[in-house]
Amino acid sequence: MNSFLALFPLLIIVFAALLVLILEVFIKKENRNYLAYVSLFFLIICGIICGKFWDKDYSYFDGYLFLDNFSIFLSFIIIITTFFVILLSMKYIFLQDVNYGEFYSLLLFALSGMMIMVSSGDFLVIFLGLEVLSISSYALAGLRIKDEKSSEAAIKYFLLGSFASAFFIYGLALLYGASHSTEILSIIDYFKSETSLSLMALIGLGLVIIGFGFKIAVVPFHMWTPDVYEGAPTPITAFFSVGPKAAGFAVLLRIFYPYWKVALNSQAIFWLLCIISVLTMVVGNFVALRQTNVKRILAYSSIAHAGYLLIAILAQDNTSLVFYLTVYLFMNIGAFAAVIALGKKDREYLELEDYAGVGFKYPWIGATFAVFLFSLAGFPPTGGFLAKFYVFVGAVRQGLVPLVIIGVLASLVSVFYYLRIIVYMYMREPSTEIEIYIENPALFLVLFLCLYGVLQLGLFPGNILILVQQAVSSLPLF
Amino acid sequence: MNLPILSFVIFFPLAGAVILIFINKEKKNFLRSFAFSVALINFIISLTLYFNFNAQTPDPQFVEKEAWIGYGINYHVGIDGISLFLVLLSTFMMPIVILSSWTSIQKRIKEYLIFMLMLETGIIGVFVSLNLFLFYVFWEAMLIPMYFLIGAWGGPRRIYATLKYVLFTMFGSLLMLVAIFVLYTTYYKATGVYSFNLFDYYKIILNPNLQVWLFLAFALAFAIKVPMFPFHTWLPDAHVEAPTAGSVILAAVLLKMGAYGFLRFALPLFPEALEKFLPLLVILSLISIIYGGLMALIQKDIKSLVAYSSVSHMGLIMLAIFALNMEGIEGAIYQMLNHGLSTGALFLIVGILYERAHTRQIKDFGGVSKQMPVFSAFFLICMLSSVGLPGLNGFVGEVLCLFGVFKTNTLLAIIGVSTVILAAGYLLWMFQRVMQGPIKNEKILSFKDINKREIGYLIPIVILMFWMGIYPKPFLRKMDTSVTHLLNKVSRRERVFIKAEKDKGFISEIKKVLEKEKNKEMEEELR
Repeated sequence: MNSFLALFPLLIIVFAALLVLILEVFIKKENRNYLAYVSLFFLIICGIICGKFWDKDYSYFDGYLFLDNFSIFLSFIIIITTFFVILLSMKYIFLQDVNYGEFYSLLLFALSGMMIMVSSGDFLVIFLGLEVLSISSYALAGLRIKDEKSSEAAIKYFLLGSFASAFFIYGLALLYGASHSTEILSIIDYFKSETSLSLMALIGLGLVIIGFGFKIAVVPFHMWTPDVYEGAPTPITAFFSVGPKAAGFAVLLRIFYPYWKVALNSQAIFWLLCIISVLTMVVGNFVALRQTNVKRILAYSSIAHAGYLLIAILAQDNTSLVFYLTVYLFMNIGAFAAVIALGKKDREYLELEDYAGVGFKYPWIGATFAVFLFSLAGFPPTGGFLAKFYVFVGAVRQGLVPLVIIGVLASLVSVFYYLRIIVYMYMREPSTEIEIYIENPALFLVLFLCLYGVLQLGLFPGNILILVQQAVSSLPLF
Repeated sequence: MNLPILSFVIFFPLAGAVILIFINKEKKNFLRSFAFSVALINFIISLTLYFNFNAQTPDPQFVEKEAWIGYGINYHVGIDGISLFLVLLSTFMMPIVILSSWTSIQKRIKEYLIFMLMLETGIIGVFVSLNLFLFYVFWEAMLIPMYFLIGAWGGPRRIYATLKYVLFTMFGSLLMLVAIFVLYTTYYKATGVYSFNLFDYYKIILNPNLQVWLFLAFALAFAIKVPMFPFHTWLPDAHVEAPTAGSVILAAVLLKMGAYGFLRFALPLFPEALEKFLPLLVILSLISIIYGGLMALIQKDIKSLVAYSSVSHMGLIMLAIFALNMEGIEGAIYQMLNHGLSTGALFLIVGILYERAHTRQIKDFGGVSKQMPVFSAFFLICMLSSVGLPGLNGFVGEVLCLFGVFKTNTLLAIIGVSTVILAAGYLLWMFQRVMQGPIKNEKILSFKDINKREIGYLIPIVILMFWMGIYPKPFLRKMDTSVTHLLNKVSRRERVFIKAEKDKGFISEIKKVLEKEKNKEMEEELR
C-alpha cells in the first residue's frame, strides 16, 4: 500500500529532535531533564504509532521506504534502545559532566538514521540513513570534551567511519555499474540472471559487506570499537553496542535473505562471511581475556556477539537472528546500566579491581549484573542461552556443524571473562570500598526492565517469537 | 495421581530461595531454620514418590508434560527406577548439608542458603527431565549456584578451583549441546517432526558413523562430570577448595549426574557406537580405579584423599555400568547411592574436624579418638562403609558391581577388585594416623566431642548405611524392570522403528511405520 503514512514515525522522531534542539535554548542548564522527558514522550508516541502500523505494509516513494513488519520490529528494537539510553543518561550527564543540550537531539537524529536504514530497500537511501547515524554518532562519542580519551574516540570513529562509508559507496558504485540499479532486490536479481557473474559485481558486494563490517564491528574491521567504547560516555557506549549493530544486521538481512535463495555463485561471498564470522568470534573472545577495563571487556564481547549473529546470516536463519538481536538489546543495555549504576559524581568505576566485593555490598545491582553476564555468556535459563540456542540449531540444520563447534568453543572462552567480572564482584575482598550515587530511579527502572526482558525471553519467549516470525516473513523476496 | 508432585519437588526449593531473598539478612538463625525446613519438607514430599512408585512398569511415572516454547521443547518430566533413588538421594542430602553448615558458614549466610536451594532445584531437574532441552537447561543452570558456592565460600585457591570446575564442565557440555542439535536435526529430517523428547530419540536407528561422533560428544560431557581419568583433574581442586557442604553435594550427587547421563542418554541412544568404544571406556574406568586409589594413598590432606577415593569409586561404578548386564547396572546404581552416602559422610566428618582444628593435614592430627570418642565411632562406621565392610551398604554395592563385571570378563573383575584393597589401604591408614596413636598436637586437647546437631545429621546417614547393607531388597526391586528395559534398549532388542539416514526412500517408509504406531496407540486407547 503506497501511503504517506509510511513516513510518519520517521517524521515524529525528526520533529522531536528539532524540537529538543530549539527547547534547549529556552531551558536552564539545571532543568535539562525536561528535554529527556520530551524525547521520551515522543519515543512513546512513535512506538505506539509503529505498533498501529503492524501488518499494514505501508510503503512510500515507490518503495524506497517501507513500513513492513520487519522494519517495524527492528524500529522497535532501536526505539527501545534509545528509550533505555535516555533513561540511563538523565542522571549520568549531570554526574559525569556531559551536560550539553545537543545530547538528546543527537541521540534522536541517530535514531532517525537507523530507522531509515532498517526501513529501506534501496542502497542510496540506506546510505543516507547510515550517514545521518554516523555523523550524530561521531559527535556523541566526543561529548566528554574535557576527557582526552573521548576526543580520541571521536576522531578514531570519524576517520574509520569515513573509510567505511567510502568502501560502502564505492561498492555501491560498482554494483550500480553492473546491475544498473541501486535497489537491493534488482541488484540481487542481477546475481540471479547473469550466468557468468562479473567480477565487478562480486567485488562491489564484497565492498558493501566491508562497509557494514565496520558498522557492526566484525574482525578485521573492529579496530575502532574498543577505543570508541571506552572513550564515549557510558550510556552512549551502550547505545553504540546495540543500535547501529541492529540496524547494520537488518540491512545485511535484507541483502542476504534473497541473496542465498537465488544467487548462482554465492560461494565466494559465503566463504568471505564464514571467515569473518570465525575471526570475529575467536579474536573478540580471546582478546577480551586480557582486558581489565569493564567497558573494554564489554566492547570485545559485543564484537564476539557479532560473530554469532553472522552465523545466523550464514545459516539463512532470519528468525533466530532477529530474536538474538532482541535478547542482545536487553542483556547488553542491562550490563551497561549496571556499569553506569556503579558510579558517583565525576567518577566512574570501570577497572575490574573496583568491582571487588560489589556483589555483597550492593546486592541488587550485583545480582542483576550477574544475571546479564550469565546471559551474555549463554547460560540457561536466561535469554542469552535461548538466543544462542536458536542460532546454533539453525546452523546445524544447514549443515554448518564445524562453524557451530567453533562457535560453542568460542563461547566457552567468553564464559571465562564474563565470570571474571563475577569473580571480582563476589569472590574477592575489596581493597578500597567504593561509594556510589544511589538516587537514580530512571536507571533502576532500566535495570529492572532489562532483567525482566532477559528472563522473560529465556523462560517464556512464545509471544515474542511469534512476533519475530511475523516480522521476518514480511521480508520482501521477489 | 493428578497432583504435580514431581514439579513440586523440583521447584519448591527454588520458591524457598526466592522467599529467602526478602528476609532480613541479620536474622541468621531464622534464615537457617527456614532453609532447613524447606529442604526437609521437600525430602518428606519426595518420599511419596517412593511409596507410590510402581515397580512393575519400566515407563516413566509421575509424568508431567506441558507445552513450553514449541519446536519440540516441552516441559516433560518423569522418573523411573533409575532416577527415583537419585532424586531421593538429593532431597535426602540437602537438609543434612544445610544442617552441617549451621556454624561453619557465618558470613553471607543468606546468599549461601539461596544458592544451596537453587542448586537443589537444578540437581533434581537434571534427574527427572525427559526432554533433552529441559535436561540441558538444568544441567547448565546447576553450574551457576555451584560456581558461587565454591567461589565465594571456598578455601584460599577457590577462584582457580571454581573457574576450572565451570570451564571443564562447560567444555564437555557445550560439545554435547552440538550433538543434541545434530540429533534434533536428524530426527526432524527423518520424520518431519520437531522433537527433543528422549523417547522419540530412543526409537530411531542412527547411521553408525554419525553415532560415533554423537557418542563421543555425549560421553565426553559425562566422563568429565563423573570424572573418569584423564578428565578428573578438576575434581581434587574443586573438592579441596569447596566449603564442606559444597564438597558433600559435589561428591554425593553431582558426580552421579555423569554416571546417570551414561545410563540415560549415551548408552541407549548410541548402542552401535558404544560397542566400538567399549574397550576404551573399560580401560579408562580401570585406570580411574587404580590411579585414584594410588593417588589417595599419597595425599597429605584428608579432603583431597577423600576426593581421590571418589575417583577410584566412580571408576568401579563406571566399570560395572560397562559390564552391560543386570547385576552390573543395578550394582552401579546401588553403589552410586552408597558412594553418595559414605563419601558424603566422610566429607561431613572432614568438615567437623576442620571446624575444630582449622587444618586438614593428616600430619597435624593423631589420637583424636581419645578426645572425641563418639565422633570416632561415627568416623569408623562411615570409613568402613566406604571400604566395603560386609553388613554395611558399600559391601552390597561392590559385590553386585564385581559380580556384573565378573560375568563379562574375569580378568577385568580381578583388576577391579583392587578398588576394595586400595580403599582399605588408604582409608584405614588415614584413620589410623588421624584418630589413633598418641596425641601429637596440643591443640587436639581442646577439641570438643561432636554436639547434638552434628550427631543429628550423621545419625540418619548411619542408619541408612546399615539398612542398605543388611536389607537392600526395597531398593533393588524398585529398579529391576527399569534396568531390564534399559538393557533391552542397549542390546537393540527393542529398536525396530525408524532409520534415520539421508536416503530419501527411507523417509516414506518411516512415515508409514510412524502412522502404524499411532494407529496402534489409538486402538489401545480405545480399548
